[in-house]
Amino acid sequence: MGITIEVEGLTKRFGETTAVDAVAFAMGEHEFFSLVGPSGCGKTTTLRCVAGLETADEGRIGIKGTVVYASGEGVDVPTHHRAIGMVFQNYAVWPHMSVFQNIAYPLKLTGASRSEQRQRVGRVLEMLGMEDLGDRKPSQLSGGQQQRVALGRALVGEPDVLLLDEPLSNLDAKLREHMRVELKRIQRETGIPILYVTHDQLEALSMSDRIAVMEGGRIHQVAAPHEIYERPATKFVLDFIGSVNYLPCELLDTGSDTIEVRVEGGGLLTLPRPDHVPEGREMLLAVRPEDMTLGRAASGSDLRATVELRSFLGNLCEYRVRHGGLELRVQTEKDELVAEGADVVVSVRRGFLLDRGSAEDPLARVS
Amino acid sequence: MTTLRRVDSRVVFLVLITLFVLVVVVYPLVQVLIRSILVDGRLSFVNYEAVFGRPRNYVALWNSVWVSLAATVLATIIGTLAAFVVQRTDVPFKPLLRFLLILPFAIPPLFAAMGWVQLAGPVGILSKAYQGLFGVTGVPWSIYGAGGIIFVLGITKYPFVFITVAGALQRMDASLEEAARTTGAGTGRIMRDITLPLVRPAILGGALLAFVSSIDNFGIPAVLGLRVQFQVLTTRIYEALTIPDLPLATAMSMLLVVLAGVAIWALGKFEGRRGEHAIIGGKSIRPHIIRLGPARPWVTLALGSTVALIVVLPLLALVVTSLQPYYGAPLTLENITPRNYEAVLGSSAAQRGIRNSLLLAPAAATILVIVTALLAYLNVKARMPGTKLLDAIGMVPFALPGSVIGIGMILAWSNPPVGPTLYGTLWILLVAYLMRYMAYGLRACRASLMQIHDSLEEAAATSGANRIRTLRDVTLPLMRPGMIAAWVLIFMSAFNELTVSVLIWSARNETIGVWIFVMQDSGFAGRASALAVSILPIILIMFVITQWLSAERVAI
Repeated sequence: MGITIEVEGLTKRFGETTAVDAVAFAMGEHEFFSLVGPSGCGKTTTLRCVAGLETADEGRIGIKGTVVYASGEGVDVPTHHRAIGMVFQNYAVWPHMSVFQNIAYPLKLTGASRSEQRQRVGRVLEMLGMEDLGDRKPSQLSGGQQQRVALGRALVGEPDVLLLDEPLSNLDAKLREHMRVELKRIQRETGIPILYVTHDQLEALSMSDRIAVMEGGRIHQVAAPHEIYERPATKFVLDFIGSVNYLPCELLDTGSDTIEVRVEGGGLLTLPRPDHVPEGREMLLAVRPEDMTLGRAASGSDLRATVELRSFLGNLCEYRVRHGGLELRVQTEKDELVAEGADVVVSVRRGFLLDRGSAEDPLARVS
Repeated sequence: MTTLRRVDSRVVFLVLITLFVLVVVVYPLVQVLIRSILVDGRLSFVNYEAVFGRPRNYVALWNSVWVSLAATVLATIIGTLAAFVVQRTDVPFKPLLRFLLILPFAIPPLFAAMGWVQLAGPVGILSKAYQGLFGVTGVPWSIYGAGGIIFVLGITKYPFVFITVAGALQRMDASLEEAARTTGAGTGRIMRDITLPLVRPAILGGALLAFVSSIDNFGIPAVLGLRVQFQVLTTRIYEALTIPDLPLATAMSMLLVVLAGVAIWALGKFEGRRGEHAIIGGKSIRPHIIRLGPARPWVTLALGSTVALIVVLPLLALVVTSLQPYYGAPLTLENITPRNYEAVLGSSAAQRGIRNSLLLAPAAATILVIVTALLAYLNVKARMPGTKLLDAIGMVPFALPGSVIGIGMILAWSNPPVGPTLYGTLWILLVAYLMRYMAYGLRACRASLMQIHDSLEEAAATSGANRIRTLRDVTLPLMRPGMIAAWVLIFMSAFNELTVSVLIWSARNETIGVWIFVMQDSGFAGRASALAVSILPIILIMFVITQWLSAERVAI
């Protein structure tokens, strides 16, 4: 498998702050690769360095085997000589050009003949479902249509890689969902590798082949979506991807197959023994809402709680339950509804065990 | 290698523009500053003592202040009322009303002064009508002197207030008023408690612009004041130069700078505070329109006749006078004669004036648009060091009264240390216009560049376009509307210019405005009017273009 983009030791500083701190990753040939993290985590700066819109301070960037940036050798290929296509957050569709002219522009720059331009733009318009809109001005288009024009313009020159900078964040929820599927379909059809930047974990999870979770200029973990969700490498990843409850607890007993903990508030839980048991006794048990169940009784649990609020979400039901001073968020199948005010026993299917003192340690997976 | 070459060409442009700003703006300014406090090579405040020692001079200063203030009050009342009626009520013919209400912007104030002399002067059309109606001799008013100057200044400067207030009312978030309505407030209460406080910064901003423009004006006090010895600073400077007493004129022009400076400083304070009122919402919801009901025809009539009186009537008076055999002739059909047109258009001075103006105005507009577009690009997009300062310096003449620019030109180009003596040639007028209107170009180009999001240019780069292609294919086409608007505005302003031109023109180097003033001042009202009417079509066409351009830009 060939490598599309290879980034090594990429560092970019803005004055005193280090926006990107020794970032490294490699993208496969047809891969949909996402950089995800909160705003200010360095994901967009990384993408802009790959595009050549920012000049990094240190590191190397290669695109399809060509070194486009290397701080040591003084190599810095200008943006217009990098074989990339890019879609910007605000579309950046040129208002003074028609849809056709916008999409044909990269071809025009390569000196393609008029008939070739017509043919290739036509193919792109067809793929985007915009065959009839070629003569329109961008001001006559909806936000979603402008987004497609930007995508078409980035694709038409058949670049080595497509760079997408939060392309869906300006669209409304329904359109965003539609475009997620559309983008992935186009990527599968064309086979073009995509480097995708987003702060929306759902976007990253649903579209990507692999995800790099970033924070403070560094990459925490690079893995496939389910891996990121099921086996977060750090507490930050666990926090950022999906939601989670933290139950402060005390490790009472470690058996060969099970461990026993007492949750703050008194409830006792017997859990499968994790892959490794952190040292110390003061623990945090991190549990995702869907990994808990509510019942009248449960084996291995006497964590008693009261249902305070019930919110029906359609496909799921979400509860806020109280165990002493602890409020837990629990999601269950909708066919096992529990009434508000009911007393229940909470059982935990799986979770992660952390030492309360050192949050930097690797997470112990309990399942 | 490419990086090196790229930087080089931009540095070359930066150096050229720096030179331009130094020669055109900084050098004359420094001249005025130094010469006003330097007598025979020594620091001295003799010139300022002359200003405050002789009543003629300090009375002119005082007159400038109070006459401009009074005119500003009048302009503010007219402008604010007109803006409310046009923006917020259901009066008919709104586009026409708006067009006519902004029209005084385009008409040289000199024309208005001439028109009002012909309407309300001793043998004016309105005066005679009044005498005929009441069977009296004389009229209970005088168009000459302070009253006339205040009146004509007020009705030519109100568009500053009208435009800023109408703009604020248009952008105002309707939900602010709707929120008040839900609390049970009536229309009158909402206007008083919500709307008026919200547009107060706009009213003040427009009023300050009207004030600065009033103290800058020469044509109106010259036509309506000189004859009765009522002096303001601009006319006093003009007189001092005919003596000639250049040091005195220089000191007085510095006082004008102080006056304008105080007003601009106050404007800056108000504009800075405008942020407190977030009246510009993200979504444009049409504000509530007040239904006038049975009052509608009356309000329409009142506004319509006001517009007719202050905008249309003076222009009609010019046409009438231009066709009369002598000023004040009875209004009969037999008295219509093309004699004035023949006389004035046949004179070589008037022909030169028209030719010179038609040469200077487009030349100044073209040079300035190119220079300011480049400077704005280097500042906003290339973010080159020092360009912010250059931009700020280029904006300074915006706050400078024309008299100062005129004096600065005389001082700078009468006997310059290097380069040619421009004084006494047509070139000095060109350089003066370049200084005076640089800010117009800078503002328009900066604003249109700031609206072009960086990503539009970055998208060209990621499409494979180099810097020159990006500039040609994306940046310039997107800047074009702003550049065209700046060109037309500079052309119009330079074409109508009088305050500076009247100080630095010379024989054979007349401009159209100067020659109309000279004709009027020499007692040839008919010929002056004929010349004014002759160039009115050019002014009107340019004005229609500006209106069309701004409407286009709103639509985009």
